[in-house]
Amino acid sequence: MLVAWRYRERRSLVQWFDPRAWFIFYAAFLASTLLFWDLRFLAVFALIALIVLLTSGVSWREMRRPLLFIFAFITFFAFLTFLTGRGGIEVYRQEHLIRKITFPFSIFGWQPAIQITWERTFFAFSQFLRVFSLACMTVVIPYTINPAHYGITFRGLGLPDKIAYAIDLTMRFIPTFGRDFQLTLDAQRARGYELEKIRGGIIAQVRKMAPLIVPVTIHAIIASEDIIDAMDLRAFGVGPRVWLETLQYRLRDKILIGFSALLFLVSLALSFLSYGKFWVPPIF
Amino acid sequence: MAQPLVWVNNLSFRYRDRPEPAIREITFEAQAGELLLIAGASGCGKTTLIRCLNGLIPRSYKGELNGEILLDGKSIANLPLSRISQMVGTVLQDPERQILGTRVRNEVAFGLENLGLPRQEIVQRIDEALSYLGIHHLRDRETFNLSGGEKQKVALAGVLAMRPKILLLDEPLASLDPASAQETLRIVRQMVDEGLCVLMVEHRVEDVLKIHPNRVLLMEEGKIRYLGDMAGLYRVVNYREIKLPAGEVLKRARQDAPPPILQVLPSVQKEETDGKPPLVRFEQVSFGYETKPNVLRKIDFEIRRGDVIAVLGANGAGKTTLVKHAIGLLKPTSGRVLINGVDSHHLSVAEIARTLGYVFQSPSHMLFAPTVFEELAFGPRNLDHPPHQVEKEVMEALEIVNLSGREKEPPLALSFGQQKRVSIAAVLSMRSRILIMDEPTAGQDYQNYMDFMDAIVQLPNIEAILFITHDLDLAIIYANRVALMSEGRLVADGAPQEVLRDVERLMDWRLVPTSLLRLNLELLPNSGKFLRAEALAHLPSVHLGGKENSRESIL
Repeated sequence: MLVAWRYRERRSLVQWFDPRAWFIFYAAFLASTLLFWDLRFLAVFALIALIVLLTSGVSWREMRRPLLFIFAFITFFAFLTFLTGRGGIEVYRQEHLIRKITFPFSIFGWQPAIQITWERTFFAFSQFLRVFSLACMTVVIPYTINPAHYGITFRGLGLPDKIAYAIDLTMRFIPTFGRDFQLTLDAQRARGYELEKIRGGIIAQVRKMAPLIVPVTIHAIIASEDIIDAMDLRAFGVGPRVWLETLQYRLRDKILIGFSALLFLVSLALSFLSYGKFWVPPIF
Repeated sequence: MAQPLVWVNNLSFRYRDRPEPAIREITFEAQAGELLLIAGASGCGKTTLIRCLNGLIPRSYKGELNGEILLDGKSIANLPLSRISQMVGTVLQDPERQILGTRVRNEVAFGLENLGLPRQEIVQRIDEALSYLGIHHLRDRETFNLSGGEKQKVALAGVLAMRPKILLLDEPLASLDPASAQETLRIVRQMVDEGLCVLMVEHRVEDVLKIHPNRVLLMEEGKIRYLGDMAGLYRVVNYREIKLPAGEVLKRARQDAPPPILQVLPSVQKEETDGKPPLVRFEQVSFGYETKPNVLRKIDFEIRRGDVIAVLGANGAGKTTLVKHAIGLLKPTSGRVLINGVDSHHLSVAEIARTLGYVFQSPSHMLFAPTVFEELAFGPRNLDHPPHQVEKEVMEALEIVNLSGREKEPPLALSFGQQKRVSIAAVLSMRSRILIMDEPTAGQDYQNYMDFMDAIVQLPNIEAILFITHDLDLAIIYANRVALMSEGRLVADGAPQEVLRDVERLMDWRLVPTSLLRLNLELLPNSGKFLRAEALAHLPSVHLGGKENSRESIL
């Protein structure tokens, strides 16, 4: 199985709160993190994210794969920024050299060299920490938020019935889509198709993915016709909807919403007052 | 007579993008407490008729609609879908695709939520509908993890909760194993007896006969060919186009010429099968997932030259998992699978595909190429066959499935039956010697699939065939070996007349004996092996007494 719902009831900080309150907190956290480049500020956010992750009740075994994948991904990109020095130009103007490494060979007369500077190093760390915090907060969601509650959660956050239900429906069909994909992959492998052997440029690679992409897409289109019929036949969209599931804010949820608002406002104010910009320790 | 619940007068409909009407001059009525069976070949207009009755035509499907429909005495022409949906409930063919909720209770609540009913009433109606269908224990389960039969009941519960007077069922048995199908039929009968008006579209006419439909409406090319009781149906239809009870076929086939004798697997000579090693061999194979151990338990199994094997068993018994091991898509957690004597752990799927072709159940899961030729060339090219050879293989495969001359057409524009044939040809073009098929007849009508199976078992160059099926009669007619699976175990493996002999035990394995099985068991002393009903009719010593008994036993 490619995709399956990981949700179950857990002893978990996330599940202690109402899902609406949690999404508000999540949004505030995201927006606030993106306001800063200062490693010290980002460390605070990373700490919060780490606490959420460790108290999520999701075992290491369960989240090992996605977590390692994300970790490898952001490490790779942070390292790439570090090597090229790109991306940081917007937040720092001066660079202080720690060391310049020149390779002992040349390609057509050009000798490759890496300049290791304080700014690049700290920028890579900051970038890593930023994405790491967001990733930790996001990764726990499918494990801890009940898929049956997505619709009412987004309805409760003020989205219209139709959009809220569309989100709910998406959650319902992700596993089905995953299974269709797996079936198609198996069917094509049985015809000697080997995903590992795909080579060539981007366009050639996409073309060689057609045996997977075409059937999965066609299948999704055919299926969506049935889904629309099934919804029409059961009077979807004729008037205001009653949602069977109900959510109730408790004191703790109100406190979390208050905290989220405060977090965001304080972050906004600090950022407005030019705090939290890119920071390198004053060692020179 | 009371006012009919469904009253249809001179109804015709043409889809906007098609030149010909899909249905023409349809007139009929149905009463409360009536079960009306709607039968006919694929493409005869059954689904269009259902869409007219539930209001999707002309509201979601545009086109030219003529004629009148009254439901419960009211014309539906100007009613909104929300009103119609409270009078007519529809269960679509594939329950998987119409279940909208992530949990059972949310799914059943869906229509009631849309109608804006008070929450307390919604909860009460959910409980009622689930209890009525005997699935209250599923209330808090995830819909994705239900079995096929359970999904169908949940879809039905979602419709019943809206308390319709009329129920439309579009091929409700299509994806169910025999025992689940029988259970669904029992529930339908119960609902009819309690006063619901049920219109049921179904290919499996013979199965529906067990619950005594009041009348049958037979459609052909968009028109009504017959409307009346079952006895009359037998008079108008040919036993080759619609599957009738075996006793009925036996009676009528006597007047016709005997069916041609099939040349099963013509490339395999009897003498050469003896003493040779098996093509595929399972040794103590077990398999399981982290969340679901014991999908297969210690399976010992062989595929030999000359075998035509039917794999039977309930949904979830492990049939598909078993065949996925043969092609190497799955590798055993313990034990081993040998293909031509080589352990599947040392072979890639592509390597195994050179000898073993696997046709998946749904052609739409594999067809992708812009032309039939490209589709068929995909497999051999992946196996690095040289171009001139690929062309030859493609042309031969097309000829075998009777699609020569269609190589430039896009496969996705063909009819379902033709797509199915393309999907088989796409495997045949790889020159596989063993053909494995998952539910080869699903979604096709009787005449189509019988012709198709006749052609398959007579394919040249094939040394063994294995197919998974829910259709016991398919096993009786075509297989020379039956493998029966139950809860991950291979519980029986042998000649059809050996394995299917004990009718009581079959029930334990969720198989339901058919009229053809009973007839064959009765006539086995004369025939010596299982045969199709048409062939049984021409056995020299079949006398009337046996025939009458068999008719009794199925009705």
